Amino acid sequence: MMDIRSSQGAAVVIEHRFDAPVEVIWQMWTDPDHFRAWYGPEGASIPTAKMDVRVGGSRLVCMEVQTPSGLMQMWFTGAYLEVVENQRLVYTESMSDENGSVKSAADMGMPEGHPTTTEVRVELDAVGAGTRMILTHTGIPEDSPGAAGWRMAIAKLTDYLKARQ
Amino acid sequence: MMPTAVDDDLLNETFAALASSTRRAILARLAKGAATVNELAEPFDMTLPTISKHIKVLERAGLVIRGQQAQYRPCELNAKPLKRVSSWAEQYRPVWEASFSRMDEYLRQLQSKTRDGRSR
Repeated sequence: MMDIRSSQGAAVVIEHRFDAPVEVIWQMWTDPDHFRAWYGPEGASIPTAKMDVRVGGSRLVCMEVQTPSGLMQMWFTGAYLEVVENQRLVYTESMSDENGSVKSAADMGMPEGHPTTTEVRVELDAVGAGTRMILTHTGIPEDSPGAAGWRMAIAKLTDYLKARQ
Repeated sequence: MMPTAVDDDLLNETFAALASSTRRAILARLAKGAATVNELAEPFDMTLPTISKHIKVLERAGLVIRGQQAQYRPCELNAKPLKRVSSWAEQYRPVWEASFSRMDEYLRQLQSKTRDGRSR
């Protein structure tokens, strides 16, 4: 049997162990002040993080990056799909303007068909005094009704791909 | 978060082709083995021409290859373009890993602050 997580072809799955209890790691994701302290690629800062952490609640995050042509701001919006305290957090993410209006990948100068929305899934497990976190970041094509069917199809196809290698 | 690089036209086509539940179902069926258009149409409440159109989209994206046997021209899955989808997602990995190192560092700072507070 294949591990379902490793068979999600269009997703990146990262496991990370933290030397802190699940309650603390949960705060890292759901408390805007903590979140701003660590989130983002190297050199980025997070001037704004608004989070209504409940199912259906929205989020709006601004990322600032210093570029040779000046300070560049990028806004991301999304909604929480699953909120299970200290265990599981699932939210969508799309590029947006500062008011949270979604911009398509094409608006952002990315090729058409590039997913406008991605889904971020954070799963936490207590391991001793620490935490094992599994992060799954999935691309969802634009007119896809939901991630579930997409992921199942991709899982089957990736199994096939692996069987052939 | 932004991926670190932007990808090519082929990736577009793959995503566009995959952005349909019917086409994903067709691919899932083909993952079990080659099939004729008739066989592929069976589970769907759709006309053969409609199914054929979906298959053409998959063919153009390189996800399906048609056999040359005159009558049946069975469809076969070509999984290569899916590898590109997979590597698209992988672009996010270094971005996340940098974030988690920052979280590790931030957690250490918080913990030492707490310890200092207790010792006073």
